[in-house]
Amino acid sequence: MKAVIFGPGRIGCGFVGQLLQDSGYDIVFVGRGATVEHLARVGRYAVRLTDGRRTDEVQVRGVRALSTSQEEAVAAEVASADLVAVSVGPQNLGAVAPLLAAGLSRRTSPVNVIAFENCNDPAGCLKEAVFRIAPALREIGHGFSGAIVSRIVARRIGDPAGSEPLVFLGDPPEGFIVHGPSLRAPLPRIAGLRAVDDYAAWLMKKLYTFSAGHAAAAYLGALKGYRYVHTAVRDPEIRKAVRAAMEEGRRGLARRFGRELAGDRRELEAILKRFENAALDDPVIRVGRDPMRKLGREDRLVGAARLAAEAGVQPRRLALVAAAAMCFGCAADSGLGTCGPEATLRTVSGLDPHKGLGREVATAFTKLTEGREQDNVLLSLHELVWSWARKQERGAQPALRLA
Amino acid sequence: MKIGILMPRQRTSRRSPLMPEVLKLLREFGATVDVIYPDDRCTDLCSLRVEHDLYVLRSDTEMALSVAGALHAIGAPILNPWSVATMMKDKIAATRRLAAAGIPVPETHVTCVPQRLGQLLEEGPLVIKPYRGARGRGMRVVFEPDELEEAGTGGPILAQRYHRPDGPDRKIYCIGGQLFGVFRRYPALSYSEKYGESFSIAPELREIALGCGAAFGVELFGIDVVVSEGKPYVVDIRSFPGFKGVPDAALRLADYIYATAQRVLAGNPIGELPGLPTQSERKAVTA
Repeated sequence: MKAVIFGPGRIGCGFVGQLLQDSGYDIVFVGRGATVEHLARVGRYAVRLTDGRRTDEVQVRGVRALSTSQEEAVAAEVASADLVAVSVGPQNLGAVAPLLAAGLSRRTSPVNVIAFENCNDPAGCLKEAVFRIAPALREIGHGFSGAIVSRIVARRIGDPAGSEPLVFLGDPPEGFIVHGPSLRAPLPRIAGLRAVDDYAAWLMKKLYTFSAGHAAAAYLGALKGYRYVHTAVRDPEIRKAVRAAMEEGRRGLARRFGRELAGDRRELEAILKRFENAALDDPVIRVGRDPMRKLGREDRLVGAARLAAEAGVQPRRLALVAAAAMCFGCAADSGLGTCGPEATLRTVSGLDPHKGLGREVATAFTKLTEGREQDNVLLSLHELVWSWARKQERGAQPALRLA
Repeated sequence: MKIGILMPRQRTSRRSPLMPEVLKLLREFGATVDVIYPDDRCTDLCSLRVEHDLYVLRSDTEMALSVAGALHAIGAPILNPWSVATMMKDKIAATRRLAAAGIPVPETHVTCVPQRLGQLLEEGPLVIKPYRGARGRGMRVVFEPDELEEAGTGGPILAQRYHRPDGPDRKIYCIGGQLFGVFRRYPALSYSEKYGESFSIAPELREIALGCGAAFGVELFGIDVVVSEGKPYVVDIRSFPGFKGVPDAALRLADYIYATAQRVLAGNPIGELPGLPTQSERKAVTA
């Protein structure tokens, strides 16, 4: 069996490649730049899995790799593949569509395409992009599903210019969820695969609990000046806020989909425990990147807050985290700085900054921006006091009483 | 990741909870942390080796500074570099360094003979400090010439012009480039006074604190600032203070130490004493 994986990045190598090898697939990566050249030259890599106490290393051997510029060869590989996986980042789905369309057009039989992207409906986006290029493929019956990945793959270790195999560092979970009805039968036999009918609900569950909590730890951690998620989540205030944000999301899910799918508080505690895993060395800068996408109307923060509000839960912590994401966006020059907070709330998050949730986010953002600077540190999430002030102190009032 | 921490002599009493908490956190992060007490052990100098990815110089005793110097001599990466810690320990050198960097310090004189300071008292009281003192030990305010004899320590002393503070002392701590201000009464009369109160640092003090860090090329230090008639003076600087009153100080220190060890493991060197700022840079600091 052969699988073609678009995107030899953290999830592509550190999750998909390892599981597919474990399931008996030969692997061909397709990508750009130094990593692809390295994989083509070295032909193997390692996945280091750690829960903070125990570490295991899995070797992924015999991989081949092609550059996206080798269009003919890529199309030939897709044409003869038993499975196609895509893990290029949500913003790059459109860019791989032409290569995928070219390969699928050559096939004589349908194939399953699984998009391992942490966003809303990546399979739908990819499928539509492919069908726009090759409308005839609509009739062929290829399977397209997203995949909800349970593993955190924090980083790649090693120099792609060197000859030592690269190492991808992640935590141990192996499960992933696909939408069964969207894939062609028989379903591919892949370790960790779980097919569900209510995929959208499971995706919401991951986005509105795990991803919302991860983002909360990163954005609040950045405000308080921490470098790593594992440190930020040990700050008692941040830990409480992350737990509360996830709980707001969970209660929204429970109202919409029932308690069984939403899970219980023990699940949230287990998630917090995973965020504590220092062996992942996961910087808040990495986890927080692409804040504009994460502020999307259906995404982990605003989507979870809206769902909570629908359930009658006031999403106070999610609103604060959304405001923190906007601060992060301003600092990270993500485009938020140019379009401004009000336009971001309207156009990206679909919220009215003068009403309801939009007003709550806007108010929190205004309070935060009073002191927000790149090297300024928020001393307290409750009192929103910064370590240094923009204005001259008057009367030298204490900011916080500490003991 | 192996981290060696040079600590002061073990004491059963007066133990700050800061370092035990930092050690616990670093171990939770997966680092192997060895605590080294240079004052309590016999070190075979010729077999001393660099056995850790990063050293942290928590102690500023003569022995700890010398062992750190020996480690420095064989290329050990030290979070708070030996040369900086050594200079900060010497208040004469540190004060001159700060002044040369354009940092406002009180008018300062140094001598081994306190009686030579008599004439200076005509212009107002002086604060006398031992040149390698710490935690206020041996420090006193002298108003009259006949008090000078008692102010002597037998060694070099600093005499700084006394500026009556407008309020409580201001401590400004820097951890990894992040600044934290704490009001502290001296002497502290209660537990809460010992920990002080956090305050938002005003722009002028921030520039001064950043200038102090730049003068020594470090991101980990603490300064004491006296504000008198609205004018700030830096009266002390320490390489690794106790960070009392800094919110979540242990977590922040562990975060910074861990990140620095990661940088060292990735092949990035730790800085040494930088060159002094140019005249225009000095103006920018004091403007």
